[in-house]
Amino acid sequence: MTTAAPAKTAPSRKKKGNSTLAKRLKRCWPFYIMALPAIIYFVINNYIPMSGLILAFEHYTVSGGIFGSEKVGLQNFKFLFTSADSWIMIRNTLLYNLAFIVLGTVIAILTAYFLHELKSNMSRKVYQTVILFPGLLSVIIVSYLANALLAGDTGFINMHILRPLGLESVSFYSEKKWWPFILVFVHFWQMTGTNCILYLANMSAIDPGLYEASSLDGASRWDQLINITVPCLIPTIITMTILQVGKIFNSDFGLFYQVPMNSGAILDVTQTIDTYVYRGLMNTANMGMSAAACFYQSVVGFVLVMITNAITRKISRENAMF
Amino acid sequence: MKKKITALVLTLVMLLSVLTACGGGGEKGGSGDVEKIKIYLPTSGKTDDLDKVMEKVNAITREKIGVEVEFKVYQFGQWFQQYALFLSGTEDVDILANYGGYLNAVAQGAAYDLTDLMQQYGQDIIAKEGDYLKSGQVDGHQYAIPIYAGYAWNMGILYRKDVVEELHLEDMVANVKTIDDWGAVLEAVKAGKPEMTPFVTLNGSTAYTFNYGTWDDLGNCYGVLMDGGKTDEVVNLFATDEYKHMCEVMHDWYEKGYSSKDIQTQTDGFVVLTQNDAAFCTLGQTDFNTEFYQTTTCGKPIGTVMLGGGTPVARTYNNVTYTVMSNTKHAEACMKFLNLWFSDKEIGNLISYGIEGEHYVLNEDGLGEYPAGQDASTCGYHLGANISNTNRIIWCTEDPDYARKLDDSNTNAQKSAGLGFAFDPSTVTNEITALDNICTRYRTGLECGSMDPETVLPEFLNALKDAGIDKVIAEKQAQLDKFLGK
Repeated sequence: MTTAAPAKTAPSRKKKGNSTLAKRLKRCWPFYIMALPAIIYFVINNYIPMSGLILAFEHYTVSGGIFGSEKVGLQNFKFLFTSADSWIMIRNTLLYNLAFIVLGTVIAILTAYFLHELKSNMSRKVYQTVILFPGLLSVIIVSYLANALLAGDTGFINMHILRPLGLESVSFYSEKKWWPFILVFVHFWQMTGTNCILYLANMSAIDPGLYEASSLDGASRWDQLINITVPCLIPTIITMTILQVGKIFNSDFGLFYQVPMNSGAILDVTQTIDTYVYRGLMNTANMGMSAAACFYQSVVGFVLVMITNAITRKISRENAMF
Repeated sequence: MKKKITALVLTLVMLLSVLTACGGGGEKGGSGDVEKIKIYLPTSGKTDDLDKVMEKVNAITREKIGVEVEFKVYQFGQWFQQYALFLSGTEDVDILANYGGYLNAVAQGAAYDLTDLMQQYGQDIIAKEGDYLKSGQVDGHQYAIPIYAGYAWNMGILYRKDVVEELHLEDMVANVKTIDDWGAVLEAVKAGKPEMTPFVTLNGSTAYTFNYGTWDDLGNCYGVLMDGGKTDEVVNLFATDEYKHMCEVMHDWYEKGYSSKDIQTQTDGFVVLTQNDAAFCTLGQTDFNTEFYQTTTCGKPIGTVMLGGGTPVARTYNNVTYTVMSNTKHAEACMKFLNLWFSDKEIGNLISYGIEGEHYVLNEDGLGEYPAGQDASTCGYHLGANISNTNRIIWCTEDPDYARKLDDSNTNAQKSAGLGFAFDPSTVTNEITALDNICTRYRTGLECGSMDPETVLPEFLNALKDAGIDKVIAEKQAQLDKFLGK
C-alpha cells in the first residue's frame, strides 16, 4: 500500500472535494503509470486471493472446488466459540499481544536510544548485530535453546543453578506460573533487535540542533529523551502500534507452539487462537474451519485498526494513518 | 473521459488474463493411446535414479495397459506438511498415498469412488486382499486400495534383547504377561544399566504413548471397542478401568525413575535413543514381523512381548492406502495401474528396489541385497517394500519366510467387530476439534506418567464430557450399528 499511496493522495489533497477520478487521471496520469506496477502487484497478490474468503462459509470438497462447494453459512465459525477453551485462547492471545505492544515499544525505544548514544561507530555496529542475531534464528532452534535451559533432568537452570544452591528443582514444562514470563522474555530476546531498527533510523534523523540548544539550557540526558526524542518519534510509534493492533488476534505460532514443547500441562497459559486451530484441525485438515478462523482474526484486526485510527485522528489529525 | 477509464480497465483486465494464462498452462497428456498419470507418495529411501527406473516401469506399463506413470516422491517430513495441500485438489495428481487413514480424503470429497472400476479392472487385487479390502471402504463404496500388509497386531513391549541377556533376565521376561509384570524387569535394568533410561516413548512427545492399544480405536479414540473389538459396544476408552490402570502403572514408573523426568517434552523416540544406547524399552505396535523390522531399524537386537493376551487383532483400517483423486481425468488408467502394481512382480520389484544388477542383486538364498560396494546411503534407488508390500522379492534384512507368515497372520487373526468400519465425523467436527485440544492437554502427561491419574484423570474425564464426547460416542455407535446391519 505504502508505495501506491503518495501518488494517489498527494494530488487529491491539493484540490479537495471537486476532483473526480477522471479529472485526477487527466491531471496526473504519469503518477498513475508510475504506481501501476505496485497496483497490479497488490491486485494480483492481495486482492484476487481475497475471493478465497468464501471458503470460510462452505463445506469444501475437491469436486465442488473453491466456489462450487456446499454453502453452510456460519457453521464453520461455531467451533471457535462453543468450546470451554474459547475464552482461554482469546484471553491469552489478547493479553500476550498487549504485553508485546506496550512493553515492546518501550523496550525498542530504550534499546534504540542506548545504541544511538554510543559514540563509537564500531561498538554500535557490534552491539546492534548481537541484539539482532536472535531474530535470525529459526524458532525450532530457539525452542531447543530454551529446552536446554529449562529441562527437568538435564536443564542448565536445574542442574547448574538450583541444585548447587541446594534448592528444589523446578519442572518448568508442567508448572503454569512461569510461562507468561518465559514467553514474554523469549519474544523480546528474539524481536528487540528488529523492532528497534526503525526507531534507531528515526533517531538519527532528529535535528542535532535541538539537543545542542537544550543542553545549553541545562537539560539532562533524561530530559532530552522525554522532551525531544520521544515526541519526535510519536508518528512512528503511532504507525507501528496501529500495524500491531491489526494483528492483535494473531499470534506468533512458532513462539506459542514450539517453545512450550507442546506440553499439555501448561496449555492454560500457552494456548492461543492459532495453536488451538492447529491442534484441532491438524488431524482433520478441514479447509472451511481453518479459513473461518483466519477470517475471524482478520475481521477483528480490521475493526481494531479502524477504531485505533479513528481515536488517533480525534486526538491529533496529522498523526493518523488515513 | 469515460472512454479513457474504460480503456485503462480493459488494459488491466488483459494484463491479468495474460498473467493467469501463464500460470494455468501445462498440456494435457492425452496424446495418442497412452494415458499419463501421476502418483504422489512419501518415502524414507533414495530416489536419485528415479527417472531411469520409471523408464523401465513405463516400458512395461505402456505395453500391458497403455499407461505411463510419473512418480513424485517426497521425504516423510515434507510429506506430512504437504499432505493437506495435496488433498485440497489443487495439485496435478491422480493417485495419492494416504498414511494414517483415508477418511479425510473421503470427507473432503477427494477420493474417487472405485467400486465399479474395481470390479472391472481390479480382479487381481480382489483375489489377493479378500476381506481386507473392507478397510478401504466407506458405506460399501471402495474409496481406497489398502496395501496388503500385516493387518493384525496388538499393543506390546519392545525391548533390547542383548541387555536382557547381559543381565540374565531371560526367565523374568519370559513370564511377563501384562504390563504390571514388566516393572520388575525395569527395576533390574535401572540397577544394572544406570546409564540407560529404562522406559521411553515410541515416538517422543509427538504421539501418545497408548496410540497402539489393545482396543480398536475405530479411527479416532473417541469411542472404542475394548479387547480388540470382541464386542460391538462403543465405550469411552478414557473412562475404562483398563485405561486408568495403565496410567497408574506409567505414573508409578515415572515416580520410581524408570522413565526420564523430561519424558513429557522428550522429542526423540525409541529408535533414535536405542541407536545411541540410551533406552531399554518402549510400548508400541507389535506383530509377527516387529522384532525383525525394529532390529533392522534400530541396529540393535530387539525383542517383543505382545500384550492383550498375546493375540494379534485385525483393526478398523489399514495405515497405508492409495486413493484416486476425484478430479482426475484418468480414473480407469489409475485403477489399471494399481492392479498391475499390486499383482505384477516385475513392476513391484522395479518400483520398490530399482533395476536388478544396478540397484539390487539377489543373493544365494533368493533374497534382495545391495550390489557389492553399495549400501543404503550410496545406492541410487531404493524406495523400500512398505509402499506396496505385495508380490515382490524379500529383502535380506527381512524374515525370509515373511510372505507366508504374513498370510498366516492375516488369515488367523482375531477380527475386530469394527473391521472395515469407517467413521464419518462430519456431523461432530466441532466436538472433535475441542476433544483433540483437550487430549493435547491431558493425554501426553497421563500416558507417559508425568501426571498423577488420581487427580488428573477425573479432571480429564470432566473436560471430555463438557466437550461432548458422549455425543461423538453415540454417533459412532449409531454408525457402527448401521454398518453391522443392526
